[in-house]
Amino acid sequence: MKIAVCAKQIPDPALEITYNGGNINRPDEQVLDDTDRYGIEVALQLKEKFDAEVTVISMGSLGTEKGIQQALQMGPDGALVLEDDSLTGSNSLMTANVLSELSKKVEADITIFGTESTDGYSGVIPQQVSRMLGVPCISYIKAVDIDESVTLTRQTSTGSEKVVMPANCVLSVTAGGVEPRYPNFKDIMAAKSKPIERISIADINYDAQQNLEFVDIKDVSTTKQGEKIIDEGEGFQIIIDKLKELKAI
Amino acid sequence: MKTLIIGEVVDNKLSSGALEIVTKANDLGLDYEIVTVGSEESPNIGSESFKNTYIKCSENKLSLGSVADKLKNIIEENTISLVLAPSTYVGRDLIAFLSVDFKSSQVSNVINFEIEGESVITSNSINGGESEYNSKISSPNKFLLIRPKSFEEAALDLNTNFETVEITSEDPEVFDIFIEEKTGPQLEDSKIVISAGRGMVDSENLSLVQDLASKLNAAIGGTRAIVDAGWMPYSQQVGQTGKTVKPDVYIALGISGATQHQVGMKDSKYIIAVNKDEEAPIFQIADLGLVADTLSIVPKITENL
Repeated sequence: MKIAVCAKQIPDPALEITYNGGNINRPDEQVLDDTDRYGIEVALQLKEKFDAEVTVISMGSLGTEKGIQQALQMGPDGALVLEDDSLTGSNSLMTANVLSELSKKVEADITIFGTESTDGYSGVIPQQVSRMLGVPCISYIKAVDIDESVTLTRQTSTGSEKVVMPANCVLSVTAGGVEPRYPNFKDIMAAKSKPIERISIADINYDAQQNLEFVDIKDVSTTKQGEKIIDEGEGFQIIIDKLKELKAI
Repeated sequence: MKTLIIGEVVDNKLSSGALEIVTKANDLGLDYEIVTVGSEESPNIGSESFKNTYIKCSENKLSLGSVADKLKNIIEENTISLVLAPSTYVGRDLIAFLSVDFKSSQVSNVINFEIEGESVITSNSINGGESEYNSKISSPNKFLLIRPKSFEEAALDLNTNFETVEITSEDPEVFDIFIEEKTGPQLEDSKIVISAGRGMVDSENLSLVQDLASKLNAAIGGTRAIVDAGWMPYSQQVGQTGKTVKPDVYIALGISGATQHQVGMKDSKYIIAVNKDEEAPIFQIADLGLVADTLSIVPKITENL
């Protein structure tokens, strides 16, 4: 079994996202998107059971590759990454085109993602990649039971449902679906010697086009003249009085 | 502009997300039809005011790929250029598949859109709702995922007049379908919503929130942090990847107010926030902010109501 697992490098999520024109400013040092840790964890659990080969795939500005290292520290075997200036400001389909080609390059049977990135939030890349690869997409996985076969529990709008994992498919894993492992010192050192293959857009079959044009970013903030009160013991009464005033009670 | 709205069957009727988009489509005078996806026998999804096609699938199959194949035919046959879907699990999967088929990237998380000649201008909310990011789609096919509650729901008399297309497919089997029980007021339509965050410290303390909610007849929500921690089911998550709520009163308990949470609740009519951190961002959008120990103040409110 071969598995490709997607890792996105994002600006430190503790800092506010800033824009240059329509594009997110990306510092040289970016970190692994935490939501990708869930997909990586699922890939590693499959690796342990089925002796699978796990390759991290990633696209975008590589910079110091800190985020790629963080992904490798969890336990994948290596990484295949693609950086190309022409991909700056990619729409979802351009991104999905690159990632599906990377999945093909590593001959992945299973390609695994988080459900949406913390900086872009488009939430459609796994499904687009599955359509491009012509395999089913098992989206929004919230639990994984690995036995001789693999049972995936999907989140649905009304509850949940289960699906047996097909031999070839794309998975998207929700945050909280599994408990991502923390690398120890040995894992961190071992990651440094794992192979990272860097390729360019000329090395893949790329034919996606930009169909979206950035117009502008408008400030629509409304400064709210709210009250802020420090509780000195009667805070509960202030809230009750307000609820009465609002006719909420 | 010929338009298709993708709806779902929820509680045996057309989903509110689709009815919200109908309002906007009417405002813009769009020439639209609806395709509704579901597995129910005879849902109330038809109307005199639009054409509705029902794509009926087996609930025991993961058939959204096949549904997208059918939608592709409908889009081509009816020369539809604009496809609108609510940003739900089903909507996201279908729009993603179609965007690949038509080689036109979608725009996700759209809160408003306008027609400009043959193009569509979309607006996204960024920086916790303080800025709007506008893009223009000029490709022949345009796919938009619309955030719930972006428009008022259209009030329509729904009936069972529609054409049905059944999907039979070789798709993966689905089993152990579990429906979460809906009890008490629901987030989407409750006049009061009380949400909890990490500041409630422990999942056991959520009983304090429940006590207050039952006195106020309020629905209960939570932040992504506590849903990820397993304190609450995903169906109760409020925010960017969860639900959008606009109640008359929103009470945020122990919520710091990350921008991802704000996106889901900032348009509530009146926001009350309780947090012990005076610098918590939630106070910037609260109408009434109380800097207090959430755990001790919540039972006092409940007792004195």
